[in-house]
Amino acid sequence: MRLKTRHHARAIIPTASMADIAFLLIVFFMVTISFEKDRTQVTLPRTELRLEVPKIVAYVSVTKDGWIRVTDGEEMSTLIPKIDDVLTFAAGVVSTYPGRPIVLKGDRDVPYEKIDKIIDALKQAKVETIYLLSDQVRVDEEGGGG
Amino acid sequence: MKLKKTRLSEEIPTSSMADIAFLLIIYFMITTSFAATRGLDFSLPKDDDSPPIVEKEDSVLIEIQPSGQLIVDSNPMEPEQILEYLHPKLKNNPKKPVIIKTMPSAPYGYMVEVFDLLRRAKDELKLKEDINISIPTQREIDSFWF
Repeated sequence: MRLKTRHHARAIIPTASMADIAFLLIVFFMVTISFEKDRTQVTLPRTELRLEVPKIVAYVSVTKDGWIRVTDGEEMSTLIPKIDDVLTFAAGVVSTYPGRPIVLKGDRDVPYEKIDKIIDALKQAKVETIYLLSDQVRVDEEGGGG
Repeated sequence: MKLKKTRLSEEIPTSSMADIAFLLIIYFMITTSFAATRGLDFSLPKDDDSPPIVEKEDSVLIEIQPSGQLIVDSNPMEPEQILEYLHPKLKNNPKKPVIIKTMPSAPYGYMVEVFDLLRRAKDELKLKEDINISIPTQREIDSFWF
């Protein structure tokens, strides 16, 4: 009897669909990506109500130590030496990009005195809307405000 | 002489496509950041030349102490008591201004928590409109208040 010749399984891992998966992931990242113009590390205050901030905004960030970084939303944020410079910056944003909101990204432990001066500068520069950036309140923190 | 015929493969080489795709994925994963770009919006007065003149008696004044203690119209209060206190006043006059005055050395986070509480009041108290929240700056208080 003649035996049938053995069929050797090919030692190939099928990778044809891998590219499809990878491209799907790329599309996902391309759709969801937003290049942050400000990467200042702060501990944000926590709130229950959190509204979506528009994609193109200017930033004023204040760290716990009082360092202030600003960006008009076009370039990466830069450090400003004096708090009085916030007025100059905000006036520049208002004249160049009228109606652009300014996001105030303040550390929750920074003394309010600093924030007060910044809000005052934004008011004087006739900024229309500001956003106070916040984190989601945690369940274990709920009701423990003030 | 017998020429050896090399047969060209009919397949498109796609094995490197996955490598390229994964490199792109790594790039996007590093550069992307699911930013916590959410917060509370606050509309600033349109015209700074005519600051809102609010009579002390016509408004509710919430003072935030450095310790986080809240004093509402000269009475110490817990955050959860504020809405209860505001409810009858806002029923009578929905436009009654609620002023948040934060002490300069108080952490900024306390002010945001109170602001969040007042922003949520519309839903919690089933009011027809948002509370008229005012956050005067120290300069405005010194210049125009009392």
